[in-house]
Amino acid sequence: MTARIHGDVIVATEHITAPPEVVFPYFTDPALIVAWIGEHAELDPQPGGVFCLDFGQVIARGHYVAVEPPRRVVFTWGIPGDDTLPPGGSTVEVVLTPAGDDTVVVLTHRGLPPTHIGDHRAGWDKQLGQLRDTAG
Amino acid sequence: MPEQKQPMPAASVSPDAVLRALADPHRREILRLVQHTELPAGQIAARFPLTQQAVSQHIGMLKQAGLLTERRDGTRRLYSLRHEALQPVRDLLSEFWPDALARLKNAVETAHPRPQKRQP
Repeated sequence: MTARIHGDVIVATEHITAPPEVVFPYFTDPALIVAWIGEHAELDPQPGGVFCLDFGQVIARGHYVAVEPPRRVVFTWGIPGDDTLPPGGSTVEVVLTPAGDDTVVVLTHRGLPPTHIGDHRAGWDKQLGQLRDTAG
Repeated sequence: MPEQKQPMPAASVSPDAVLRALADPHRREILRLVQHTELPAGQIAARFPLTQQAVSQHIGMLKQAGLLTERRDGTRRLYSLRHEALQPVRDLLSEFWPDALARLKNAVETAHPRPQKRQP
C-alpha cells in the first residue's frame, strides 16, 4: 500500500489476492462499496449515473464517467450543499490490473490542492470535504 | 525571547487544528489574499463585510494554527500565508485513499478467502 502526491494528483496502489472480476463490483455495488468506504451508497454504475457515498456527516456525490468491468472505473467526487463546491470537480480513476490470480489496484485522484492554496476555490474546498470524511 | 517573536507552532500543529482553521470560508479567503503577498490586518478586513473584530478573530485562529506568519513593520502587523503549515493537510490527504484501499483489500480477501495451497 503506497501513495504518492504529485501536484494536484494522488496515486494510491494496493495488491489484493483476488481477481479483478471479484474486486470490480466493490466500486459499483452499493452493498459492497460500503464494506470499505462510506456508510450508505447510491450507485448507478453507468456513464453519467449517480455516484453517491454517505459518510454520515458528509456526503460525497458525483457521477460515473466510465464503467468498464472488470478493469477500469472512473467517477467524479464532490460535496453538495456547498455552492463553492459543486459535485463533479475532481476525478477518481481506478484501474484493476491482473497479476497472476491477484489484482493490482491503482487509484488516481486528480484535483487535489497544491502545497500552496491555489486560486481555484472549488478544488480546494472539495478536498476539505474529503478531509472531513477522513477526520470524522 | 524578543517581543516580536510570534508563537511558532510549526510542526507541532495537528492536522485537526489546521483543518478547523480551514473549515471557514472567510478564513480560507484570508489565506488566499495573503498567499503571495503580505497585508496588514486593516487591508484584510476591508475585503470582508465583517467587523474588524471578527476579522481579527479569524486572523488569530489562523495564526494559532500556524497558517499565518506575522511580521511587524513599525506599528503595522503584516500577515502572509505560511505555506509549510499546509503539509499536515497534504499528509492527511495522502492517507485517505491508501487507508480506504487497505479496507477494500481486507473486505475482498475476507469475503473471498483463497485456499493456501495454491501454487502456479
